[in-house]
Amino acid sequence: MKLPLGWLKDYVDIGGITPQELADKLLSIGFEVEEIIEPRKDITGVVVGHVKSITHHENSDKLWICQIDIGGETVQIVTGAQNVKAGDLVPVATVGATLPNGKTLAAAKLRGVDSFGMLCSGSELCVDDDIVDGASVDGILILPNDSVAGDNILHTLGLDDTVLDVSITANRPDCQAIVNLAREISILLDKPFKMPDLKYKCVSECEIPPVIIENKELCSRYVGRIIKDVKIERSPKWMRQRLRSCGVRPINNLVDITNYVLLEMGQPLHAFDRRYIDEKIIIRKGKDGEKITALDGKEYSVKDVLIIADTVKPLAIAGIMGGEYTSIFPDTQNVFLEAARFERSNIRRSSRKIGLRSDSSARFEKGVDWQSVELGSERALALVYKLKCGSICAGSVSDCATAPTEKIIRTTKEEICGLLGIDIELDTIKSILKKQGISVKTEGKTLCCKVPLIREDIDGYADLAEDIMRFYGYDNIISTYSENTAQTKGGLSVHDSNVNELKNRLRAFGFDETLNYSFISPDAADKLLIEKDSTLRNEIPLLNPISRDISVMRTQLVSSMLASIARNCSRKNDVMRFFEAGKVFIADKLPLTQLPQERDVVCLGLCNDGDFYTVKAVVGELLKLFGVDPEYSSSKATYLHPKQSLSVDRGGILGDFGKLHPLVCENYDLPNNVYVAQLDVTDILEKPIGIAKFKPISKLHPVDRDLAVIVDKDTAVGNMLSAVKKINRYISDVKLFDVYEGEQIPAGYKSVAFSVRLQPDEATLSDKEIKQFMDEILSMLGSEFGAKLR
Amino acid sequence: MQLNQILTDALKKLETVNSERELSEFKTSMFGKSGTLTALMKSLKDLPPEQKPQVGKEINDIRVAIQDKCNEAEVRLHKAAISAALENDKIDLSIDKPVTEVGALHPLNRIRNKLIDYFVGNGYVVYDSPEIETDYYNFQALNIPLDHPARDMQDTFFINDNILLRTQTSGGQIRLMEKFKPPIKMICPGRVYRNDDDSSHSPVFHQMECLVVDKNVTLCDLKGTLEGFAKFIFGEQTVIRFRPSYFPFTEPSVEVDASCFNCGGKGCRVCKNTGWIEILGAGMVNRRVLENCGIDPNVYHGFAFGVGLDRITMIQCAINDIKLLWENDVRFLRNFR
Repeated sequence: MKLPLGWLKDYVDIGGITPQELADKLLSIGFEVEEIIEPRKDITGVVVGHVKSITHHENSDKLWICQIDIGGETVQIVTGAQNVKAGDLVPVATVGATLPNGKTLAAAKLRGVDSFGMLCSGSELCVDDDIVDGASVDGILILPNDSVAGDNILHTLGLDDTVLDVSITANRPDCQAIVNLAREISILLDKPFKMPDLKYKCVSECEIPPVIIENKELCSRYVGRIIKDVKIERSPKWMRQRLRSCGVRPINNLVDITNYVLLEMGQPLHAFDRRYIDEKIIIRKGKDGEKITALDGKEYSVKDVLIIADTVKPLAIAGIMGGEYTSIFPDTQNVFLEAARFERSNIRRSSRKIGLRSDSSARFEKGVDWQSVELGSERALALVYKLKCGSICAGSVSDCATAPTEKIIRTTKEEICGLLGIDIELDTIKSILKKQGISVKTEGKTLCCKVPLIREDIDGYADLAEDIMRFYGYDNIISTYSENTAQTKGGLSVHDSNVNELKNRLRAFGFDETLNYSFISPDAADKLLIEKDSTLRNEIPLLNPISRDISVMRTQLVSSMLASIARNCSRKNDVMRFFEAGKVFIADKLPLTQLPQERDVVCLGLCNDGDFYTVKAVVGELLKLFGVDPEYSSSKATYLHPKQSLSVDRGGILGDFGKLHPLVCENYDLPNNVYVAQLDVTDILEKPIGIAKFKPISKLHPVDRDLAVIVDKDTAVGNMLSAVKKINRYISDVKLFDVYEGEQIPAGYKSVAFSVRLQPDEATLSDKEIKQFMDEILSMLGSEFGAKLR
Repeated sequence: MQLNQILTDALKKLETVNSERELSEFKTSMFGKSGTLTALMKSLKDLPPEQKPQVGKEINDIRVAIQDKCNEAEVRLHKAAISAALENDKIDLSIDKPVTEVGALHPLNRIRNKLIDYFVGNGYVVYDSPEIETDYYNFQALNIPLDHPARDMQDTFFINDNILLRTQTSGGQIRLMEKFKPPIKMICPGRVYRNDDDSSHSPVFHQMECLVVDKNVTLCDLKGTLEGFAKFIFGEQTVIRFRPSYFPFTEPSVEVDASCFNCGGKGCRVCKNTGWIEILGAGMVNRRVLENCGIDPNVYHGFAFGVGLDRITMIQCAINDIKLLWENDVRFLRNFR
């Protein structure tokens, strides 16, 4: 909210405090100043000058030489302007002055005559007629007669007010008004608070249309007044300046008064041209098909939206915007002035529904209190009276719901101090509350606190505690270490400690952790060649995404992984091992009717750093981490190379890994040496990782034997070696050391060489036993795999 | 030949031996089949029996003496041989060759783990809560009813009228309090989402909610807890301050600033010359929130705070652009190995 300090000073004397000091103090009571807006910093050294004499320049037809009093000093200035005469008051940029165009004035010689400054036009000072009369003329700005020579031009033009842009928290809608913020500041600075002038005189009563509220739950109070014989004209300079410094464009006196009161008292008002109101004012919901053209010239359908109507037509969208037809026109004679209290959430809903916001609706959305309706109306009338812009009729019309009563909060000093953890004197508590308009009566130990209606946010003793602390000072809160609370046992969940184990293992293999958004492009499934009926295409769409690229919740991590790799490749870094451990969102049914499953998935990506066997080994290590024996089947993952991929579904780990499909490489603009794995680890993460039990180590020496066999070239060597290992308990290890096709091997066959380690446990193996085992191996390989000894 | 002469000759010869190979030849010349000492021993049988013990002893003494010297020479020559070999093992030490380096945790998760460790050590449990959440848990139960102006504070991503992407980890408070009764000490770290994407905001970011509920919990306890936490992150010299603020789910509510770790409060670029760094929002749990979870606010108090992990990470790791956290540039990630 914009708080012009000049305006603030009307209601509280802030003394010599600097804007920065005030901002710091406001911060301590919960109002953060987002910006201190200094008056026109871009204009310096420009003062009011009084033209004492003006003569023609001898060497020029167009130039004039002026002697100008700039307040106790006379300077000579040569000007080319033709509208200046002796006696005029003009803006003078003195030597060293800076102007909005960035220029700094220097002394100069014009056709042989010294000139110590420059006379300024309105446009050179960036002001127009709205700020000062005559500013828009072509020529030097001639200032009003009451200007004082030597005065800073910003002061003369009323551009010297500093404005604080204060951020008001949602619990303090009352402070969206300058007077209420002034009240807070008066407590803060311990200075008296002055209420705005509410005095005015009325003429005799006149006929006022009656008011009927049909929906009192949506409009709890409505007050109407009549102003007769209005003179629609420009409002005075001071009012226009204040509105402008709050960012409001002045329009005419009556509209300006309503805007002024909105800023000052926080009460939105609306002025209707009386002549367009038929019979009476009805506050009701819009009917089917009902429409209104608002002040912005657009037509809005107001079905079920609260409106102000008369007996035949809608007049305004309640609390949001008036109708074009009934607004104030230059020939308006009688005005009906509305002050009302509309229910905030309804305004919020309606405003969103019809897509129209205004200063008024913004204010109502935050909450307008019961009393400000009357205060706002009175203040507006006092301003009408002061500005002499019409005759105020005595009497008002109003309708309202049952008036709210002031809340009484019953608490104790112990309760308040018990929440805070520090002891505050009872008298201090009472005095701080009283300054905020909260009266405190003591009944024994009980404090009965009566809360003014304006403070709708205060709901219990905790709110009172906060309001006490704001002025008592949060620096008085000391640090204590929960000495009076119970001991608790903390810890990581099984899930979280498993995730840590998993990440550590991947890091050990050189994988860097990546992070990606949880939402992806709906095109990702296509790029991964995912089948049309796959559940991976059931991505949950966002209603209001930032862009199409991030508009659906991810069902897989692969697409983001590939995008990350591609981004690095495009930056000429094409060697990496990445992993991401994150959530995917699986909807049982779309559109979503209940919360989806959030599943934990780990994704690996290797680019130019390893081959199929690398990714297979890493997946194997992850399975081993969770105590799962590696066992794989062929993969159906569409994004993987059909001949270089496998699938796992064991003990709560589900997924695929392998080389990326060449078409997917093309889709992501990746090199053809990318391997990925994606494993759903949701279930296994819930099982604690056990610590392995020790298996006794045999003291006997192992025996190593090598074998080379010839098999059909399509034989799965891994399966063959696993089968060898299972033959008997003495075979502790089988290691492949060569697979060979070519010379000396018949076409269509390959040679497989491996070593077998036999580990005796109780007695040394005899040569006969060893031979027998080797024969067993060969015979099994022969019958199962068609292998022959090479 | 005199036995003494044999010994002298042998020792003289041994001195000229310069390699393990020559030593081996020398030993053969002494102790081999046709070696000098072997021949002497053989000649013993030709001596009269009464001389045998005496001469035998003398020969043996010589043999032992030569053998000892041989052993000495063997150790010396072996060392020399190894030393010579070491010379040939010289390599270029200035070259670097790659090994498989340990990968990096993402800095955000490093910080997350660090903070989790701190709270776990202080008796907090770590609780996980859904990222796709209902309006009730994200707003209503936290004292933010429908159409409440506080909803404007957070631009929400919606899936439908009732289901949304959580805008804060505070919903974890509700889910936990529905399940567990005080004493409660919990943290709930995780992703949160807001419809906000500019140079200082990312639509996905990370928060860590913290909740303590018990009898006798006070605002001073909150300050002590946060001070300990701030010291843990920014160093022992750190102090914190409270500023009044507003959150619907806490009352009183405060913004918490830590003294700038970079300048110690004097004012610098890091703290934008204020001397303070805004670190989180906190407060005493609003009684309505406790009531919504079936906890009697007349018996229990609580405090809660929510810290933005991305911000803490950026401060801690001197990361100057929030986009870096999500780009997965390998040079960025390897920086944290």
